[in-house]
Amino acid sequence: MIEVKNLKTKYSYGDEFSVASALFENGRISGVIGKNGSGKSTLLKTLAGQRKYEGRILINQKECSEYSSMERAKEVAFLPQSVKNLNMDVRTLVEHGRYPYHGNFRRMGEEDEKKVNRALELTHMKSFEKRDLYELSGGERQLAYLSMIIAQDSSMILMDEPTTYMDRIHQDEFFSILRILVKEGKGIVMVCHDIEQCFAYCDKIFLMEDRKLEYAGTPDDFTQNEQIIRRNFGIAMKKSEDQESVYPFVMKK
Amino acid sequence: MKKIIKWYILPLGILILSLVAALFAGSKSISVKDIITVLSGGGSAFQKVIIFQVRIPRIIAAASTGAALSVSGYLIQNNLNNTLASPGILGINNGAGLFVLLFACLFPYHYAGKCFAAFIGALLVTTAIYILASVTGMSKTSIVLSGVAFSALCLSVIDIIISLKPETVADRVAFQIGGFNALNINSVKFAVPFIIIILIASLIMAPSLDILMLGDDVAGGLGLNIKFYRAAHILFAALLSGAAVSMCGIIGFMGLIVPNVVRLFYRGNSRGGIFLCMVIGASFLTLCDLLGRSLVYPYELPCGLFLSLIGAPFLVWMLIKKRKRLGMA
Repeated sequence: MIEVKNLKTKYSYGDEFSVASALFENGRISGVIGKNGSGKSTLLKTLAGQRKYEGRILINQKECSEYSSMERAKEVAFLPQSVKNLNMDVRTLVEHGRYPYHGNFRRMGEEDEKKVNRALELTHMKSFEKRDLYELSGGERQLAYLSMIIAQDSSMILMDEPTTYMDRIHQDEFFSILRILVKEGKGIVMVCHDIEQCFAYCDKIFLMEDRKLEYAGTPDDFTQNEQIIRRNFGIAMKKSEDQESVYPFVMKK
Repeated sequence: MKKIIKWYILPLGILILSLVAALFAGSKSISVKDIITVLSGGGSAFQKVIIFQVRIPRIIAAASTGAALSVSGYLIQNNLNNTLASPGILGINNGAGLFVLLFACLFPYHYAGKCFAAFIGALLVTTAIYILASVTGMSKTSIVLSGVAFSALCLSVIDIIISLKPETVADRVAFQIGGFNALNINSVKFAVPFIIIILIASLIMAPSLDILMLGDDVAGGLGLNIKFYRAAHILFAALLSGAAVSMCGIIGFMGLIVPNVVRLFYRGNSRGGIFLCMVIGASFLTLCDLLGRSLVYPYELPCGLFLSLIGAPFLVWMLIKKRKRLGMA
Protein backbone atom coordinates (compact mmCIF):
# COMPACT_ATOMS: atom_id res chain seq x y z
CA MET A 1 0.00 0.00 0.00
CA ILE A 2 1.27 3.46 -0.85
CA GLU A 3 -0.26 6.44 0.88
CA VAL A 4 0.53 9.93 -0.38
CA LYS A 5 -0.07 13.16 1.57
CA ASN A 6 0.83 16.71 0.51
CA LEU A 7 3.43 15.42 -1.90
CA LYS A 8 5.45 18.06 -3.72
CA THR A 9 8.42 17.81 -6.03
CA LYS A 10 10.07 20.34 -8.33
CA TYR A 11 11.19 19.90 -11.92
CA SER A 12 14.60 21.15 -12.93
CA TYR A 13 12.92 23.88 -15.01
CA GLY A 14 11.04 25.16 -11.95
CA ASP A 15 7.48 23.85 -12.32
CA GLU A 16 5.95 22.21 -9.33
CA PHE A 17 4.33 18.81 -9.16
CA SER A 18 1.85 18.10 -6.38
CA VAL A 19 -0.53 15.47 -5.05
CA ALA A 20 -2.71 16.49 -2.10
CA SER A 21 -3.63 12.97 -1.13
CA ALA A 22 -3.89 9.55 -2.77
CA LEU A 23 -4.07 5.94 -1.78
CA PHE A 24 -2.74 3.10 -3.92
CA GLU A 25 -4.01 -0.12 -2.42
CA ASN A 26 -2.94 -3.73 -2.56
CA GLY A 27 -5.21 -6.11 -4.42
CA ARG A 28 -6.08 -3.48 -7.01
CA ILE A 29 -4.93 -2.23 -10.38
CA SER A 30 -4.68 1.56 -10.19
CA GLY A 31 -4.47 3.34 -13.54
CA VAL A 32 -2.90 6.77 -13.96
CA ILE A 33 -4.15 8.75 -16.95
CA GLY A 34 -3.58 12.28 -18.21
CA LYS A 35 -2.37 14.29 -21.18
CA ASN A 36 1.26 14.21 -22.23
CA GLY A 37 3.32 16.22 -19.75
CA SER A 38 0.65 16.07 -17.06
CA GLY A 39 3.08 14.42 -14.64
CA LYS A 40 2.15 10.74 -14.88
CA SER A 41 5.69 9.46 -15.14
CA THR A 42 6.88 11.90 -12.46
CA LEU A 43 4.27 10.51 -10.09
CA LEU A 44 5.50 6.97 -10.68
CA LYS A 45 9.17 7.84 -10.34
CA THR A 46 8.54 9.73 -7.12
CA LEU A 47 6.56 6.82 -5.67
CA ALA A 48 9.43 4.53 -6.64
CA GLY A 49 11.79 6.66 -4.56
CA GLN A 50 13.74 7.95 -7.54
CA ARG A 51 13.05 11.64 -6.97
CA LYS A 52 13.51 13.98 -4.04
CA TYR A 53 10.20 15.12 -2.58
CA GLU A 54 8.50 17.09 0.17
CA GLY A 55 5.49 15.76 2.04
CA ARG A 56 4.78 12.16 2.77
CA ILE A 57 4.90 8.92 0.82
CA LEU A 58 4.13 6.01 3.11
CA ILE A 59 5.04 2.63 1.67
CA ASN A 60 3.46 0.00 3.89
CA GLN A 61 3.29 2.55 6.72
CA LYS A 62 6.95 3.56 6.45
CA GLU A 63 8.22 6.80 4.89
CA CYS A 64 9.67 6.18 1.42
CA SER A 65 12.85 8.17 2.05
CA GLU A 66 13.58 6.22 5.25
CA TYR A 67 14.02 2.96 3.37
CA SER A 68 17.48 1.97 2.20
CA SER A 69 17.39 1.55 -1.57
CA MET A 70 17.61 -2.26 -1.32
CA GLU A 71 14.87 -2.49 1.32
CA ARG A 72 12.62 -0.23 -0.72
CA ALA A 73 13.13 -2.44 -3.77
CA LYS A 74 11.66 -5.33 -1.78
CA GLU A 75 8.47 -3.30 -1.24
CA VAL A 76 8.16 -1.45 -4.55
CA ALA A 77 9.17 -2.60 -8.02
CA PHE A 78 9.41 -0.12 -10.88
CA LEU A 79 9.28 -0.81 -14.61
CA PRO A 80 10.10 2.32 -16.63
CA GLN A 81 8.63 3.23 -19.99
CA SER A 82 11.64 2.36 -22.08
CA VAL A 83 13.69 -0.72 -21.36
CA LYS A 84 17.07 -1.70 -22.77
CA ASN A 85 17.73 -4.20 -25.47
CA LEU A 86 20.73 -6.10 -24.20
CA ASN A 87 23.13 -8.87 -25.07
CA MET A 88 21.65 -11.00 -22.30
CA ASP A 89 19.41 -14.05 -22.16
CA VAL A 90 15.91 -13.84 -20.69
CA ARG A 91 16.64 -16.02 -17.67
CA THR A 92 19.65 -13.93 -16.64
CA LEU A 93 17.49 -10.82 -16.89
CA VAL A 94 14.77 -12.32 -14.72
CA GLU A 95 17.36 -13.45 -12.17
CA HIS A 96 18.38 -9.80 -11.79
CA GLY A 97 14.95 -9.27 -10.22
CA ARG A 98 16.37 -11.05 -7.18
CA TYR A 99 19.16 -8.48 -6.73
CA PRO A 100 17.51 -6.73 -3.74
CA TYR A 101 17.60 -10.06 -1.89
CA HIS A 102 21.07 -11.34 -2.63
CA GLY A 103 22.99 -8.13 -3.50
CA ASN A 104 26.61 -8.45 -4.58
CA PHE A 105 27.71 -11.08 -2.16
CA ARG A 106 25.15 -13.88 -1.93
CA ARG A 107 24.48 -16.42 -4.62
CA MET A 108 21.08 -17.35 -6.02
CA GLY A 109 19.44 -19.72 -3.56
CA GLU A 110 16.62 -22.21 -3.88
CA GLU A 111 14.03 -19.57 -2.98
CA ASP A 112 15.42 -17.27 -5.70
CA GLU A 113 15.29 -20.03 -8.34
CA LYS A 114 11.70 -20.79 -7.35
CA LYS A 115 10.62 -17.16 -7.74
CA VAL A 116 12.40 -16.86 -11.09
CA ASN A 117 10.77 -20.02 -12.44
CA ARG A 118 7.36 -18.94 -11.16
CA ALA A 119 7.74 -15.53 -12.85
CA LEU A 120 8.78 -17.12 -16.16
CA GLU A 121 5.84 -19.53 -16.06
CA LEU A 122 3.36 -16.81 -15.18
CA THR A 123 4.36 -14.72 -18.19
CA HIS A 124 4.66 -17.78 -20.49
CA MET A 125 8.30 -16.84 -21.10
CA LYS A 126 9.69 -20.16 -19.86
CA SER A 127 10.27 -21.43 -23.40
CA PHE A 128 12.15 -18.19 -24.17
CA GLU A 129 14.49 -18.32 -21.18
CA LYS A 130 17.60 -19.16 -23.22
CA ARG A 131 16.84 -16.58 -25.89
CA ASP A 132 18.67 -13.29 -26.11
CA LEU A 133 16.74 -10.07 -25.53
CA TYR A 134 17.93 -9.03 -28.99
CA GLU A 135 16.08 -11.93 -30.55
CA LEU A 136 12.71 -10.98 -29.04
CA SER A 137 9.98 -8.76 -30.41
CA GLY A 138 9.17 -5.53 -28.57
CA GLY A 139 6.18 -7.07 -26.82
CA GLU A 140 8.07 -10.20 -25.79
CA ARG A 141 10.88 -8.07 -24.41
CA GLN A 142 8.36 -6.17 -22.32
CA LEU A 143 7.08 -9.50 -20.98
CA ALA A 144 10.65 -10.52 -20.14
CA TYR A 145 11.06 -7.34 -18.09
CA LEU A 146 7.67 -7.95 -16.49
CA SER A 147 8.96 -11.39 -15.44
CA MET A 148 11.94 -9.67 -13.82
CA ILE A 149 9.63 -7.35 -11.88
CA ILE A 150 7.48 -10.32 -10.80
CA ALA A 151 10.58 -12.19 -9.60
CA GLN A 152 11.39 -9.11 -7.51
CA ASP A 153 8.31 -10.12 -5.47
CA SER A 154 7.52 -6.69 -4.03
CA SER A 155 4.11 -5.87 -2.60
CA MET A 156 3.63 -2.92 -4.98
CA ILE A 157 4.44 -2.85 -8.69
CA LEU A 158 4.72 0.46 -10.58
CA MET A 159 4.69 0.40 -14.38
CA ASP A 160 4.97 3.19 -16.93
CA GLU A 161 2.97 2.44 -20.09
CA PRO A 162 3.95 -1.23 -20.12
CA THR A 163 1.76 -2.24 -23.07
CA THR A 164 3.23 0.25 -25.54
CA TYR A 165 5.00 -2.32 -27.72
CA MET A 166 2.42 -5.11 -27.39
CA ASP A 167 -0.14 -6.23 -29.93
CA ARG A 168 -3.73 -6.78 -28.83
CA ILE A 169 -3.32 -10.45 -27.92
CA HIS A 170 -0.21 -9.74 -25.87
CA GLN A 171 -2.01 -6.87 -24.15
CA ASP A 172 -4.90 -9.12 -23.10
CA GLU A 173 -2.44 -11.70 -21.87
CA PHE A 174 -0.59 -8.98 -20.01
CA PHE A 175 -3.69 -7.83 -18.14
CA SER A 176 -4.66 -11.37 -17.23
CA ILE A 177 -1.20 -11.80 -15.68
CA LEU A 178 -1.76 -8.59 -13.71
CA ARG A 179 -5.10 -9.95 -12.51
CA ILE A 180 -3.38 -13.05 -11.11
CA LEU A 181 -0.82 -10.87 -9.29
CA VAL A 182 -3.56 -8.66 -7.87
CA LYS A 183 -5.47 -11.70 -6.62
CA GLU A 184 -2.32 -12.71 -4.74
CA GLY A 185 -2.53 -9.40 -2.91
CA LYS A 186 -0.08 -7.28 -4.88
CA GLY A 187 -0.93 -3.69 -5.68
CA ILE A 188 -0.33 -2.39 -9.19
CA VAL A 189 -0.03 1.22 -10.28
CA MET A 190 0.31 1.74 -14.01
CA VAL A 191 0.39 4.69 -16.34
CA CYS A 192 -2.03 4.02 -19.20
CA HIS A 193 -2.23 5.71 -22.57
CA ASP A 194 -5.19 3.72 -23.89
CA ILE A 195 -8.20 5.11 -22.05
CA GLU A 196 -10.67 2.41 -23.07
CA GLN A 197 -8.26 -0.23 -21.88
CA CYS A 198 -7.64 1.62 -18.66
CA PHE A 199 -11.41 1.83 -17.95
CA ALA A 200 -11.75 -1.88 -18.74
CA TYR A 201 -8.98 -3.24 -16.56
CA CYS A 202 -8.28 -0.76 -13.76
CA ASP A 203 -10.16 -0.83 -10.48
CA LYS A 204 -9.38 2.78 -9.71
CA ILE A 205 -8.30 5.59 -11.99
CA PHE A 206 -6.16 8.61 -11.08
CA LEU A 207 -6.31 11.57 -13.44
CA MET A 208 -3.34 13.92 -13.63
CA GLU A 209 -3.88 17.46 -14.92
CA ASP A 210 -1.23 20.20 -15.10
CA ARG A 211 1.16 18.32 -12.83
CA LYS A 212 -1.51 17.83 -10.15
CA LEU A 213 -3.61 14.87 -9.17
CA GLU A 214 -7.02 16.22 -10.19
CA TYR A 215 -9.47 13.42 -9.65
CA ALA A 216 -9.54 9.80 -8.51
CA GLY A 217 -12.34 7.29 -8.72
CA THR A 218 -13.70 4.09 -10.20
CA PRO A 219 -14.50 3.96 -13.93
CA ASP A 220 -18.18 4.44 -13.01
CA ASP A 221 -17.35 7.60 -11.04
CA PHE A 222 -15.65 8.99 -14.11
CA THR A 223 -18.63 8.39 -16.38
CA GLN A 224 -20.73 10.41 -13.96
CA ASN A 225 -18.28 13.33 -14.08
CA GLU A 226 -18.14 13.43 -17.83
CA GLN A 227 -16.61 16.90 -18.15
CA ILE A 228 -13.32 15.85 -16.50
CA ILE A 229 -12.51 13.36 -19.21
CA ARG A 230 -13.78 15.67 -21.91
CA ARG A 231 -11.66 18.56 -20.66
CA ASN A 232 -8.50 16.43 -20.83
CA PHE A 233 -9.03 14.18 -23.81
CA GLY A 234 -11.75 15.85 -25.89
CA ILE A 235 -13.97 12.76 -25.76
CA ALA A 236 -16.51 11.21 -23.41
CA MET A 237 -16.39 7.74 -21.86
CA LYS A 238 -19.74 5.94 -21.81
CA LYS A 239 -20.84 2.50 -20.70
CA SER A 240 -21.13 0.38 -23.79
CA GLU A 241 -24.62 -0.77 -24.69
CA ASP A 242 -23.37 -2.83 -27.59
CA GLN A 243 -23.04 -6.50 -26.54
CA GLU A 244 -20.29 -7.08 -29.10
CA SER A 245 -17.98 -4.25 -28.09
CA VAL A 246 -14.59 -5.34 -26.76
CA TYR A 247 -14.47 -3.04 -23.76
CA PRO A 248 -17.21 -2.27 -21.20
CA PHE A 249 -16.63 1.48 -21.57
CA VAL A 250 -16.23 3.10 -24.97
CA MET A 251 -15.11 6.45 -26.31
CA LYS A 252 -17.86 8.71 -27.62
CA LYS A 253 -17.77 12.13 -29.26
CA MET B 1 29.47 -29.57 -14.97
CA LYS B 2 29.85 -29.02 -18.70
CA LYS B 3 29.48 -25.31 -17.98
CA ILE B 4 32.27 -25.38 -15.39
CA ILE B 5 34.63 -27.12 -17.82
CA LYS B 6 33.78 -24.75 -20.64
CA TRP B 7 33.92 -21.46 -18.77
CA TYR B 8 36.42 -22.14 -16.00
CA ILE B 9 38.68 -25.14 -16.56
CA LEU B 10 39.28 -24.63 -20.29
CA PRO B 11 40.30 -20.94 -20.04
CA LEU B 12 42.43 -21.63 -16.95
CA GLY B 13 44.09 -24.51 -18.83
CA ILE B 14 44.92 -22.18 -21.71
CA LEU B 15 46.38 -19.64 -19.28
CA ILE B 16 48.57 -22.22 -17.55
CA LEU B 17 49.75 -23.59 -20.91
CA SER B 18 50.69 -20.14 -22.14
CA LEU B 19 52.51 -19.31 -18.91
CA VAL B 20 54.50 -22.55 -19.12
CA ALA B 21 55.20 -21.95 -22.80
CA ALA B 22 56.40 -18.43 -22.02
CA LEU B 23 58.67 -19.75 -19.29
CA PHE B 24 60.36 -22.46 -21.36
CA ALA B 25 60.31 -21.08 -24.85
CA GLY B 26 61.80 -17.80 -25.94
CA SER B 27 65.40 -16.75 -26.33
CA LYS B 28 67.64 -19.67 -27.19
CA SER B 29 70.58 -19.00 -24.87
CA ILE B 30 69.06 -21.12 -22.10
CA SER B 31 67.74 -24.61 -22.85
CA VAL B 32 64.65 -26.25 -21.36
CA LYS B 33 66.91 -28.53 -19.34
CA ASP B 34 68.74 -25.54 -17.83
CA ILE B 35 65.45 -23.97 -16.84
CA ILE B 36 64.32 -27.10 -15.03
CA THR B 37 67.68 -27.24 -13.22
CA VAL B 38 67.34 -23.60 -12.16
CA LEU B 39 63.77 -24.07 -10.99
CA SER B 40 64.77 -27.06 -8.87
CA GLY B 41 67.50 -25.04 -7.19
CA GLY B 42 70.59 -25.64 -9.32
CA GLY B 43 72.12 -23.88 -12.28
CA SER B 44 74.71 -21.13 -12.62
CA ALA B 45 74.37 -17.68 -11.08
CA PHE B 46 73.92 -16.19 -14.55
CA GLN B 47 71.10 -18.57 -15.39
CA LYS B 48 69.41 -17.84 -12.07
CA VAL B 49 69.51 -14.12 -12.73
CA ILE B 50 68.02 -14.61 -16.18
CA ILE B 51 65.19 -16.82 -14.94
CA PHE B 52 64.29 -15.13 -11.67
CA GLN B 53 65.19 -11.51 -12.42
CA VAL B 54 64.25 -11.31 -16.06
CA ARG B 55 62.01 -14.00 -17.43
CA ILE B 56 59.61 -14.72 -14.54
CA PRO B 57 58.98 -11.03 -13.72
CA ARG B 58 58.37 -10.42 -17.39
CA ILE B 59 55.82 -13.23 -17.63
CA ILE B 60 54.08 -12.02 -14.48
CA ALA B 61 54.02 -8.48 -15.85
CA ALA B 62 52.65 -9.57 -19.23
CA ALA B 63 49.93 -11.75 -17.71
CA SER B 64 48.79 -9.16 -15.18
CA THR B 65 48.90 -6.35 -17.75
CA GLY B 66 46.75 -8.44 -20.10
CA ALA B 67 44.27 -9.18 -17.34
CA ALA B 68 44.20 -5.60 -16.07
CA LEU B 69 43.68 -3.92 -19.44
CA SER B 70 41.01 -6.42 -20.53
CA VAL B 71 39.02 -6.11 -17.31
CA SER B 72 39.44 -2.34 -17.40
CA GLY B 73 37.94 -2.27 -20.88
CA TYR B 74 35.14 -4.62 -19.86
CA LEU B 75 34.22 -2.46 -16.85
CA ILE B 76 34.20 0.74 -18.89
CA GLN B 77 32.22 -0.77 -21.77
CA ASN B 78 29.54 -2.30 -19.58
CA ASN B 79 29.35 0.79 -17.43
CA LEU B 80 28.85 3.15 -20.34
CA ASN B 81 26.86 0.63 -22.38
CA ASN B 82 29.17 1.30 -25.26
CA THR B 83 31.23 -1.51 -26.75
CA LEU B 84 33.48 1.02 -28.49
CA ALA B 85 34.59 2.59 -25.23
CA SER B 86 37.96 1.72 -23.73
CA PRO B 87 40.51 3.26 -21.37
CA GLY B 88 41.74 5.11 -24.46
CA ILE B 89 38.39 6.82 -25.05
CA LEU B 90 38.25 8.10 -21.48
CA GLY B 91 41.62 9.79 -22.00
CA ILE B 92 43.36 7.64 -19.42
CA ASN B 93 46.15 6.68 -21.84
CA ASN B 94 46.86 10.25 -22.87
CA GLY B 95 46.82 11.35 -19.24
CA ALA B 96 49.41 8.74 -18.43
CA GLY B 97 51.41 9.69 -21.52
CA LEU B 98 51.41 13.36 -20.52
CA PHE B 99 52.73 12.62 -17.06
CA VAL B 100 55.45 10.37 -18.38
CA LEU B 101 56.58 13.18 -20.64
CA LEU B 102 56.44 15.80 -17.88
CA PHE B 103 58.45 13.52 -15.65
CA ALA B 104 60.99 12.89 -18.40
CA CYS B 105 61.46 16.66 -18.77
CA LEU B 106 62.04 17.18 -15.07
CA PHE B 107 64.12 14.07 -14.26
CA PRO B 108 65.56 12.80 -17.55
CA TYR B 109 67.50 9.84 -16.07
CA HIS B 110 65.04 8.59 -13.49
CA TYR B 111 63.55 5.53 -15.21
CA ALA B 112 61.68 3.91 -12.34
CA GLY B 113 59.86 7.11 -11.47
CA LYS B 114 58.51 7.33 -14.99
CA CYS B 115 56.26 4.34 -14.32
CA PHE B 116 54.94 5.96 -11.22
CA ALA B 117 54.23 9.13 -13.19
CA ALA B 118 52.12 7.15 -15.68
CA PHE B 119 50.13 5.75 -12.83
CA ILE B 120 49.50 9.17 -11.29
CA GLY B 121 48.54 10.61 -14.68
CA ALA B 122 45.92 7.92 -15.30
CA LEU B 123 44.45 8.45 -11.86
CA LEU B 124 44.38 12.24 -12.09
CA VAL B 125 42.62 12.24 -15.45
CA THR B 126 39.98 9.83 -14.19
CA THR B 127 39.39 11.87 -11.06
CA ALA B 128 39.06 15.01 -13.14
CA ILE B 129 36.59 13.31 -15.51
CA TYR B 130 34.61 12.07 -12.57
CA ILE B 131 34.37 15.49 -10.93
CA LEU B 132 33.44 17.16 -14.22
CA ALA B 133 30.80 14.52 -14.95
CA SER B 134 29.34 14.90 -11.44
CA VAL B 135 28.99 18.63 -11.95
CA THR B 136 27.25 18.14 -15.29
CA GLY B 137 24.91 15.44 -14.00
CA MET B 138 26.82 12.16 -14.28
CA SER B 139 25.08 10.74 -17.35
CA LYS B 140 26.93 8.23 -19.49
CA THR B 141 27.24 10.71 -22.34
CA SER B 142 28.74 13.36 -20.10
CA ILE B 143 31.33 10.90 -18.83
CA VAL B 144 32.40 10.00 -22.37
CA LEU B 145 32.38 13.64 -23.46
CA SER B 146 34.50 14.80 -20.56
CA GLY B 147 36.86 11.89 -21.29
CA VAL B 148 37.21 13.03 -24.89
CA ALA B 149 37.77 16.62 -23.71
CA PHE B 150 40.53 15.64 -21.28
CA SER B 151 42.09 13.37 -23.88
CA ALA B 152 42.35 16.30 -26.29
CA LEU B 153 43.65 18.58 -23.56
CA CYS B 154 46.41 16.14 -22.57
CA LEU B 155 47.34 15.61 -26.22
CA SER B 156 47.73 19.32 -26.87
CA VAL B 157 49.90 19.77 -23.76
CA ILE B 158 51.99 16.80 -24.95
CA ASP B 159 52.48 18.54 -28.31
CA ILE B 160 53.45 21.81 -26.61
CA ILE B 161 56.10 20.03 -24.55
CA ILE B 162 57.48 18.26 -27.62
CA SER B 163 57.64 21.51 -29.55
CA LEU B 164 59.52 23.21 -26.73
CA LYS B 165 61.73 20.28 -25.72
CA PRO B 166 62.17 18.03 -28.78
CA GLU B 167 64.66 15.76 -26.96
CA THR B 168 61.82 14.21 -24.91
CA VAL B 169 60.24 12.74 -28.02
CA ALA B 170 62.11 9.44 -27.62
CA ASP B 171 60.50 8.81 -24.25
CA ARG B 172 57.10 9.37 -25.69
CA VAL B 173 57.58 7.06 -28.66
CA ALA B 174 58.86 4.19 -26.51
CA PHE B 175 55.97 4.69 -24.15
CA GLN B 176 53.35 4.73 -26.86
CA ILE B 177 54.38 1.53 -28.59
CA GLY B 178 54.11 -0.40 -25.36
CA GLY B 179 55.95 -3.58 -24.46
CA PHE B 180 58.01 -5.39 -21.88
CA ASN B 181 61.54 -5.15 -23.26
CA ALA B 182 62.39 -2.24 -20.95
CA LEU B 183 60.51 -3.68 -18.00
CA ASN B 184 61.57 -2.33 -14.63
CA ILE B 185 61.37 -4.85 -11.82
CA ASN B 186 60.42 -2.17 -9.27
CA SER B 187 57.36 -1.22 -11.27
CA VAL B 188 56.34 -4.91 -11.35
CA LYS B 189 56.63 -5.14 -7.58
CA PHE B 190 54.54 -2.02 -7.24
CA ALA B 191 51.87 -2.66 -9.85
CA VAL B 192 51.17 -6.41 -9.77
CA PRO B 193 49.87 -6.73 -6.17
CA PHE B 194 47.80 -3.66 -6.82
CA ILE B 195 46.29 -5.18 -9.97
CA ILE B 196 45.48 -8.43 -8.16
CA ILE B 197 43.63 -6.59 -5.37
CA ILE B 198 41.54 -4.54 -7.81
CA LEU B 199 40.76 -7.60 -9.93
CA ILE B 200 39.43 -9.42 -6.86
CA ALA B 201 37.41 -6.36 -5.83
CA SER B 202 35.83 -6.07 -9.27
CA LEU B 203 34.95 -9.78 -9.25
CA ILE B 204 33.22 -9.29 -5.90
CA MET B 205 31.29 -6.23 -7.08
CA ALA B 206 30.40 -7.79 -10.46
CA PRO B 207 26.65 -8.30 -9.80
CA SER B 208 26.17 -4.54 -9.46
CA LEU B 209 27.65 -4.14 -12.95
CA ASP B 210 24.95 -6.45 -14.31
CA ILE B 211 22.28 -4.28 -12.72
CA LEU B 212 23.88 -1.02 -13.96
CA MET B 213 23.71 -2.36 -17.52
CA LEU B 214 19.91 -2.46 -17.34
CA GLY B 215 19.82 1.35 -17.40
CA ASP B 216 19.47 3.86 -14.58
CA ASP B 217 15.69 3.63 -14.15
CA VAL B 218 15.55 -0.14 -13.94
CA ALA B 219 18.68 -0.29 -11.78
CA GLY B 220 17.20 2.27 -9.38
CA GLY B 221 14.01 0.21 -9.20
CA LEU B 222 16.07 -2.83 -8.23
CA GLY B 223 17.54 -0.89 -5.32
CA LEU B 224 21.03 -0.23 -6.70
CA ASN B 225 22.92 2.84 -5.49
CA ILE B 226 23.70 3.94 -9.03
CA LYS B 227 26.10 6.83 -8.41
CA PHE B 228 28.21 4.89 -5.96
CA TYR B 229 28.59 1.80 -8.10
CA ARG B 230 29.16 3.69 -11.34
CA ALA B 231 31.93 5.66 -9.65
CA ALA B 232 33.41 2.51 -8.14
CA HIS B 233 33.56 0.63 -11.43
CA ILE B 234 35.09 3.55 -13.33
CA LEU B 235 37.64 4.05 -10.56
CA PHE B 236 38.54 0.35 -10.73
CA ALA B 237 38.94 0.59 -14.49
CA ALA B 238 41.22 3.63 -14.14
CA LEU B 239 43.35 2.04 -11.43
CA LEU B 240 43.74 -1.11 -13.51
CA SER B 241 44.83 0.71 -16.65
CA GLY B 242 47.01 3.08 -14.65
CA ALA B 243 48.82 0.15 -13.04
CA ALA B 244 49.19 -1.63 -16.37
CA VAL B 245 50.39 1.48 -18.21
CA SER B 246 52.92 2.12 -15.45
CA MET B 247 54.61 -1.21 -16.28
CA CYS B 248 54.57 -1.37 -20.03
CA GLY B 249 53.37 1.86 -21.64
CA ILE B 250 50.23 2.00 -23.72
CA ILE B 251 48.94 -1.25 -25.19
CA GLY B 252 45.76 0.34 -26.41
CA PHE B 253 44.01 -2.35 -28.39
CA MET B 254 43.85 -4.82 -25.50
CA GLY B 255 41.05 -3.06 -23.62
CA LEU B 256 38.93 -2.98 -26.75
CA ILE B 257 39.46 -6.39 -28.26
CA VAL B 258 39.39 -8.89 -25.38
CA PRO B 259 36.07 -7.75 -23.84
CA ASN B 260 34.45 -7.72 -27.27
CA VAL B 261 35.67 -11.21 -28.08
CA VAL B 262 34.47 -12.46 -24.70
CA ARG B 263 31.09 -10.83 -25.25
CA LEU B 264 30.73 -12.52 -28.63
CA PHE B 265 30.75 -16.05 -27.23
CA TYR B 266 29.78 -15.59 -23.60
CA ARG B 267 26.39 -14.24 -22.55
CA GLY B 268 26.21 -15.03 -18.85
CA ASN B 269 26.63 -12.60 -15.95
CA SER B 270 29.38 -10.04 -15.39
CA ARG B 271 31.27 -12.11 -12.83
CA GLY B 272 31.87 -14.77 -15.48
CA GLY B 273 32.65 -12.04 -18.02
CA ILE B 274 35.26 -10.41 -15.80
CA PHE B 275 36.80 -13.79 -15.05
CA LEU B 276 37.01 -14.67 -18.75
CA CYS B 277 38.47 -11.26 -19.65
CA MET B 278 41.08 -11.73 -16.95
CA VAL B 279 42.14 -15.21 -18.01
CA ILE B 280 41.94 -14.71 -21.77
CA GLY B 281 43.60 -11.29 -21.61
CA ALA B 282 46.43 -12.71 -19.51
CA SER B 283 47.01 -15.70 -21.83
CA PHE B 284 46.77 -13.60 -24.96
CA LEU B 285 49.27 -10.95 -23.91
CA THR B 286 51.67 -13.57 -22.52
CA LEU B 287 51.62 -15.34 -25.88
CA CYS B 288 52.02 -12.09 -27.83
CA ASP B 289 55.01 -11.18 -25.69
CA LEU B 290 56.47 -14.66 -26.23
CA LEU B 291 56.10 -14.23 -29.99
CA GLY B 292 57.63 -10.77 -29.79
CA ARG B 293 60.77 -11.92 -28.03
CA SER B 294 61.31 -15.26 -29.80
CA LEU B 295 60.38 -14.75 -33.46
CA VAL B 296 63.20 -12.40 -34.44
CA TYR B 297 65.70 -13.31 -31.70
CA PRO B 298 68.08 -11.75 -30.71
CA TYR B 299 65.99 -8.68 -31.57
CA GLU B 300 62.57 -7.97 -30.13
CA LEU B 301 59.27 -6.78 -31.48
CA PRO B 302 56.87 -5.01 -29.09
CA CYS B 303 54.02 -7.31 -28.05
CA GLY B 304 51.43 -4.62 -28.84
CA LEU B 305 52.31 -5.21 -32.48
CA PHE B 306 51.32 -8.89 -32.41
CA LEU B 307 48.28 -8.05 -30.38
CA SER B 308 46.86 -5.97 -33.23
CA LEU B 309 48.22 -8.29 -35.92
CA ILE B 310 46.40 -11.35 -34.52
CA GLY B 311 43.62 -9.65 -32.61
CA ALA B 312 42.21 -7.38 -35.28
CA PRO B 313 41.47 -10.05 -37.93
CA PHE B 314 40.17 -12.36 -35.20
CA LEU B 315 37.72 -9.75 -33.96
CA VAL B 316 36.48 -9.09 -37.48
CA TRP B 317 36.08 -12.82 -38.11
CA MET B 318 34.11 -13.25 -34.89
CA LEU B 319 31.85 -10.34 -35.82
CA ILE B 320 31.05 -11.88 -39.19
CA LYS B 321 30.37 -15.27 -37.58
CA LYS B 322 28.07 -13.73 -35.03
CA ARG B 323 26.12 -11.90 -37.72
CA LYS B 324 25.49 -15.21 -39.44
CA ARG B 325 24.39 -16.90 -36.23
CA LEU B 326 21.85 -14.18 -35.53
CA GLY B 327 20.55 -14.50 -39.07
CA MET B 328 21.40 -10.91 -39.94
CA ALA B 329 23.77 -11.69 -42.78
